[in-house]
Amino acid sequence: MGDDLAWAKKDFDDANWAEERGKTGKNIFWVRTKINLSKKPVGQLGLKIEAFGAFEVYWDGVLIGENGKIVSSKAEIPGNSSSYYSVPDSLAQLGDHVVALRASQAYSQNIQRGVGVGLSSYESLLQVPLIVTSFMNLMAGAFLIAAIYYLFLYINSRIRQRTVLIFAIICFLFFALLILEYIKFYVEIPYTRFFLRLEFIGWITFALSVLVPLYFSIQFKFKWKKILLSLLIITLVTIYILNFGHYDITAIYYSLVMWGFSLIVVFYAIYQKERGAIIVLTGLLLRVIINYYLFYDLSLFISFCLVVLCMLYLHTMQMKVIEEEYQRSLLLSSKLQLELIKKNIQPHFIKNTLTSLIDWVEESPKEGTAFIQALADEFDIINDIAEQVLIPVRQEIELCKKHISVMQFRKEINYQWEENGIDENELIPPAIFHTILENGITHSSPLVDGSMKFKLSFSAIGEYKQYDFETFGKNRIKIKPRDGGNGFVYVKARLTESYSNNWAFASKESENGWLTTIKIYK
Amino acid sequence: MRVLIIEDEARIARRLERMATNFFEQNSEIAICDSVDKGLAYIENNAIDLLLLDLNLNGESGFDLLESVVSKSFHSIIVSAYTDKAIKAFEYGVLDFVPKPFDEIRLGQAFKRITNTIKTTDEPLKFLAVKKAGNIKLIDIDDLLYIKGAGIYSELYLKNGNRELHDKSLETLAQLLPSSYERIHKSYLVSLSLAEKIVIEPGSKYSLLLKNGELLPIGRSRYGELKGKMG
Repeated sequence: MGDDLAWAKKDFDDANWAEERGKTGKNIFWVRTKINLSKKPVGQLGLKIEAFGAFEVYWDGVLIGENGKIVSSKAEIPGNSSSYYSVPDSLAQLGDHVVALRASQAYSQNIQRGVGVGLSSYESLLQVPLIVTSFMNLMAGAFLIAAIYYLFLYINSRIRQRTVLIFAIICFLFFALLILEYIKFYVEIPYTRFFLRLEFIGWITFALSVLVPLYFSIQFKFKWKKILLSLLIITLVTIYILNFGHYDITAIYYSLVMWGFSLIVVFYAIYQKERGAIIVLTGLLLRVIINYYLFYDLSLFISFCLVVLCMLYLHTMQMKVIEEEYQRSLLLSSKLQLELIKKNIQPHFIKNTLTSLIDWVEESPKEGTAFIQALADEFDIINDIAEQVLIPVRQEIELCKKHISVMQFRKEINYQWEENGIDENELIPPAIFHTILENGITHSSPLVDGSMKFKLSFSAIGEYKQYDFETFGKNRIKIKPRDGGNGFVYVKARLTESYSNNWAFASKESENGWLTTIKIYK
Repeated sequence: MRVLIIEDEARIARRLERMATNFFEQNSEIAICDSVDKGLAYIENNAIDLLLLDLNLNGESGFDLLESVVSKSFHSIIVSAYTDKAIKAFEYGVLDFVPKPFDEIRLGQAFKRITNTIKTTDEPLKFLAVKKAGNIKLIDIDDLLYIKGAGIYSELYLKNGNRELHDKSLETLAQLLPSSYERIHKSYLVSLSLAEKIVIEPGSKYSLLLKNGELLPIGRSRYGELKGKMG
């Protein structure tokens, strides 16, 4: 400590100087270090100094530059934590040299940061960081776009998926991480703000280390998500506490924990044969190789980048699945529509109806006219509901009644309709009871008195609504076992279309004939 | 004429019954069954001459039934909404296929084919169904060499040397088989595509030499017509 220009000289004996700075307060102090120039670089020799405070730099006693501004016995104007100087050719001979700093560090006094000194060509000292930065910023830009794209996608999609939002946040955080990491090369950061940046980087890494395994666990439907997440956070917090203040080491540990937890999820996914798991595993394992060949900073970012690329891949794969599902549902809906319309033009129905109709017209024109009217009414309702996904239950009942009157002319059986507890406000998929009624007419024969009864009951009990459709008649003996056939496939597809999986369907023999039950869960 | 109607549509069954009664007049005896099992039971217990069959009964395909009924001695006429099934029905050996909806004239044409010995159309009969050990066996008519009458039954002589018994009479089969089949004798029905030449033996006994070397007798009254056809 103290101030004497003689301390800048090359041949000054500094053998009894302290290694540590000590308590310098606002005072000026000197730092000296020997440096050996073993090979002359191409072009101008450059000197890089990493140190806190403000200082003047002396090369073999000659002032070659300053960083910040020392103000005698007052707080200095802070310099940057990294600074670069060109060494005049006349002083750049091969051999030993002395770099002396006349410095002061009024802020962050209790931080005893060592002074780092490095020699290289002045040109490359300035250029190399900028080249690296430009590539990293290029990468950052890509992630920013991805973040914005996925955010908009999340906002505008029909079904908002958490993974999309998480992915958007991960992309944004990664963008921020890259920018913050390399901002030091083109924005002047006074040493007083040096740790602020590292603090930010630390928390971003923390957040990424939580979000990445979370994303994988959602995407791969990991079973023990909550346990995994709590363990993850506990581990990360422990690392933070144990290594408080050691920013670089903390970040490495964070990323290792993220990597490890992601691996657990991915192994589980491979075990479960999830699509894309192998690709993600490959991406994660590549990190080991990269770590081996590249130094810390770059390997961290490249492995992060690989992980994010894996996620992107997974995501596009999932989008494909969603798209296909959507297409399938559209296709199913139009197929069901078609099936509904086909009901009354398929040959069995229309040809038999027309044959009976001819017979009625020939035998009794008056009855024949009534038959035609009933048929027209049934067609009208079918036409009305053909493009609907849900219709009022009353309309469905009307359709059933019309169908009964048509069938009465054909089968000459006295069909009866009964209903119980119908809620007029309820909606149901079109032609499902109509289909069950058709099945009843086909597969049951009338009771001894020549009559057959159908009864539809409705009840809403707590968790679900229930429709019971009962056929009162004799069940025909089947040559082949009865599995419900196409009719039930139609009913089930319609229920799935409107209620996804929240329904139950049962159709079985009952005391009085046949009972079909549909439950719709809330 | 004993007629069985298997039809699950009551109105249509009655229409068929009415038209059959009109066509066959006094000598008709008509029964109606509304399901496959009832129909089969009726056939087991009663002799019939004609079956009118719907192909879709209470949601069950009538084709299983068809296989077993075409092996029987009586003729079958299909009355169905599924016109696309007509060709398949003919391949199995039904006399006619009447598409729904039908009128009295169309049904009458089908009835006339029973009494008509001259074939009016050449339907694509492919199989002859025979009952064997309780099962129905379909015999490809390309495997057929000739048919020999055996009272109310017929014996099918096959190219592989086997013989099968068919419940239909030679007369009934003649109505179903393609027009290349010729009645060369009151007991023999053979496809002329398999005939080599006519052999005249001493005592003006005529025989037909088949390509495989077998000799079949030719009825004296049928020689002239056959000679014209052989060219």
